[in-house]
Amino acid sequence: MTIFRLGEQTPPPPRRITDTVVERLEHQYEVDPDLMQITPQQDMPVWDSRRIFNARWDHLDWMHAHFADEVLLAGEESETMEEHP
Amino acid sequence: MGDQELEFAERWRDNAYGCFSSGHKFCREVCPVMQVTRNENHTPTAFHASIVAMEKGLLNVEDVADDFVHCTQCGACELRCPNTLMTGDFYRHRTRTVDVVKAMRALMVETGNEQEAWKLWNERLALDHNEPVLGDTRVSQEHVADWAIGLDIPVGGQTLLFVDCEAAFFRTSYTRAFAQLLQKAGVEFGLMREQWCCGGPAAEMGYQDLALKHATHNVEDWRAVGATRIIAPDPHDFIAFTEDYPKYFGEAYDFEIVLGVELINDLVKGGRIELTQPVERTVTYHDPCRLNKRKGVHEAPRELIRAIPGITFKDVDRVTQWSYCSGGGGGLPVAKPEITKEISRRRVAKAAELEVDTLISACPWSERPLSEAGHEANLGVMDLFELVAVSAGIEP
Amino acid sequence: MSPVAFKSAVDDHVVEELRAIIGDDARVRPDQSSRAFRSRVPAPFPVHRWAEHYPDVVILPKTAIEVSEVVKLANRHKIPIVPRAGGTGLSDGAVPLRGGIMIDCKLMNQIHEIDLVDRTVTVGPGINMLKLNEELKQHGVIYPDDPASYPCSLVGGRIGTGGWSLLGARYGHTRDLVISMEVVLPTGEIVEIAEGGGRKLRKSSTGLTLKQLFTGHQGTLGITTQATLELVPRPEVEFAAFFAFDEYIKAWETTGILTKSGLATIAGVVLFDEKKIEYLRRDDEAYIPQPDTVNAVVAVAMYGRRCEVEPASKEIMRLGKSNTGKYLGDEISAGDWASRHDRYATPLHGRDLDGQAVLMSWHCEDAALNYSVLPQVREEWHAIVARYRERYGIFDDWGMFAYTSGAHKPWADYLVEIDVGIWEQKLNDEYWAAWVDCKREIAQVSLKYGGSITACHGATREGDADLVPEEMGSAWPVVKAIKRALDPNNVMNPGKQSLDEAYE
Repeated sequence: MTIFRLGEQTPPPPRRITDTVVERLEHQYEVDPDLMQITPQQDMPVWDSRRIFNARWDHLDWMHAHFADEVLLAGEESETMEEHP
Repeated sequence: MGDQELEFAERWRDNAYGCFSSGHKFCREVCPVMQVTRNENHTPTAFHASIVAMEKGLLNVEDVADDFVHCTQCGACELRCPNTLMTGDFYRHRTRTVDVVKAMRALMVETGNEQEAWKLWNERLALDHNEPVLGDTRVSQEHVADWAIGLDIPVGGQTLLFVDCEAAFFRTSYTRAFAQLLQKAGVEFGLMREQWCCGGPAAEMGYQDLALKHATHNVEDWRAVGATRIIAPDPHDFIAFTEDYPKYFGEAYDFEIVLGVELINDLVKGGRIELTQPVERTVTYHDPCRLNKRKGVHEAPRELIRAIPGITFKDVDRVTQWSYCSGGGGGLPVAKPEITKEISRRRVAKAAELEVDTLISACPWSERPLSEAGHEANLGVMDLFELVAVSAGIEP
Repeated sequence: MSPVAFKSAVDDHVVEELRAIIGDDARVRPDQSSRAFRSRVPAPFPVHRWAEHYPDVVILPKTAIEVSEVVKLANRHKIPIVPRAGGTGLSDGAVPLRGGIMIDCKLMNQIHEIDLVDRTVTVGPGINMLKLNEELKQHGVIYPDDPASYPCSLVGGRIGTGGWSLLGARYGHTRDLVISMEVVLPTGEIVEIAEGGGRKLRKSSTGLTLKQLFTGHQGTLGITTQATLELVPRPEVEFAAFFAFDEYIKAWETTGILTKSGLATIAGVVLFDEKKIEYLRRDDEAYIPQPDTVNAVVAVAMYGRRCEVEPASKEIMRLGKSNTGKYLGDEISAGDWASRHDRYATPLHGRDLDGQAVLMSWHCEDAALNYSVLPQVREEWHAIVARYRERYGIFDDWGMFAYTSGAHKPWADYLVEIDVGIWEQKLNDEYWAAWVDCKREIAQVSLKYGGSITACHGATREGDADLVPEEMGSAWPVVKAIKRALDPNNVMNPGKQSLDEAYE
């Protein structure tokens, strides 16, 4: 059960990923806020960020199921990410 | 073009450009209203375009007032928009169609372009402090807790149960079932001293001052009895308490808000409510928009249904249901009842295709139009709490 | 009400005539908002001249007879007609250039017949493919027309633009998937258009094959009011694999290896160039964490029966890696492929010269090109966009894709696109003219290399439209003769594709 508390809706400080990308919530990249001077960012509570992230993956799963009964995978690890674990 | 319109266009311009400059229209086929009217004026894309047009001096409020009535604020459009779904979290900049619709309706009220049906509705709200959900029969504080007669629920306490207007006066079986489930689990809770409407629907129809007045009353009532936790079984209230109220009251708003369906699911999973009575029904579940689309809540109700012994559950996934709706939200049934009726008819027809005998919802506002459509299609419509209460052996 | 004058011969009298034809005032809309909302599509739009693109009145017909009567009226009064389906095109087919009567066919979204014996589905032009396929799923069939606008574009627009499908290498593109149509001609007659006769026949040699003429005309030859479409067995499995390369040329070579493999279940191969990868690193969770050695990508997808796809997938893995390709992993292969079914750009991809994120509109310049010329075209296109970006600061190069484009024959033809961001809010007449010049230069490169200036979006706006006579070459007089014969008053979507020359 999730309990809504307003005080818990501000995301933690960012961790840098690349020159232009940061991460605040686990597995969820965000633009470096410095790049958003012309287009201001919104006050987006944690629940909303998570909602969008989860919906995206549900949507992609749905798209697979929409076009075929089953997704066949090569079953192999990434050969590019091995170099940069 | 008046100052209010220019100010409005200035306020919402950037977000509107996010939509206008894309023009994808991924919203169109998930929009419940658009599926019925097929009129591009009613697409969320058009709503955003109208702001850009206002900024350019091409349209004014009067030109678009009727267009903006065509929305249930279900949130499908803004979730399905690639600017939200694909990059909204990345940029912390998502499409905000629901906010735009509410703001435009507020501007309609301010500029004298309000809808007659909404005006009357909110005049009665202002008078009675609950929504006129019983039509010509007036609602009143005297009867706001009639649903609880015989349940011996105290007033006040640390944890309060907030009961929606529709649930307090119309769909009372829902409310009673919910309260009895809490009692069965031994959850201590009380009622408000004086429970006004949450104000959410008034805000949805553009009556912002009225919404704030009701919110302020409720928060004062909560504080007066020392409440720290509010249980909201109705998804519409949950939205008001987690989205509108924080905007009204800022950091001082320190209440814990608990969603009813998640609470009951926890109590069942934790063994505090035992579902022992088999329910021999073949059911499907209607994802209430304000749970599924607006809040991403879709697992708890499904877990609850699956926990009921004897039930046959023919589920339709949550993403398919982004384009489903009852038509019951955002004031649409007040202003355009014929569109609500058609949206509900189509939703019930989808359920009937699954050859079920019951459509389960988890939102009292959806259950009135769905029940009416269900009646015509010979399909039962039940609330999830009502069903869980049956399985828990609770006598109404 | 805000004042915007009528631009064509539409006046109150004409509106009254339209109301008499339709018999429902709610479906005859001369009001400001109805007109404003139907004047653009996702393509970059001269927002500073928005009102010039208003239609004068919008009609929401329900039947072919209503469409026919409105078109006849337009001929009587010499009023332009602009057909509009989803309004999701990436060129300007559904954008009025001279006002007139817009025929918006979204209410014609019925499924008229599902024939599981002769494998066809007959629909109205206002239906969306995703919605259609939700209905077809229970029957074990699919209508596999799958553009990037799959969840929002409508069948009528797909026919009008001669659309391209992501799965076209396996199942064909729109024109291959449409079996026959009911069309309202520019003079108002309602006709059945097929291969020959026979509404459900895929091939005939009785007479002229009219069907191809009525797909991809951008609304200049008539309005489709009903279409009979192909039903394909629903795929049992999908397989997608993405391979990374440290340089474009190896990725290009691998694209050739894969497409010439002879594997019949290949549905599409997509080549991402270095600029595209650079761009994806801005905000795409799949590409952000990739090492610097990932500079180009080849994606391949297969659909079909498990007994075909499973063994073929092993061969795909072998071929994909045969020229230094590195597999990107199951998660990206499946996830990124799924996102290709609705891959429209989002505006915050845009970056100004200082690297700030700004809301840019997406222009997708698409050409049809042969495999052999892709590397040269790529260099020249990027050079053009870089020059305009440097000079004006409101353009942004979002990289290039090359997609297999030959129906059932993936080896030689490519839909090649360069995605360009345009900061619309900054547009003025000078910048708009610069943009048109930029488009024209890009299209001229396509012609120089023996290509066609558009594979699927259409050549309907200045910049592209000017070059249509040059591309059509010796066939241009034939095109003009056909247009003049079918549309004697030039009412049907006038101003598009340089077809005004037919009346000079």
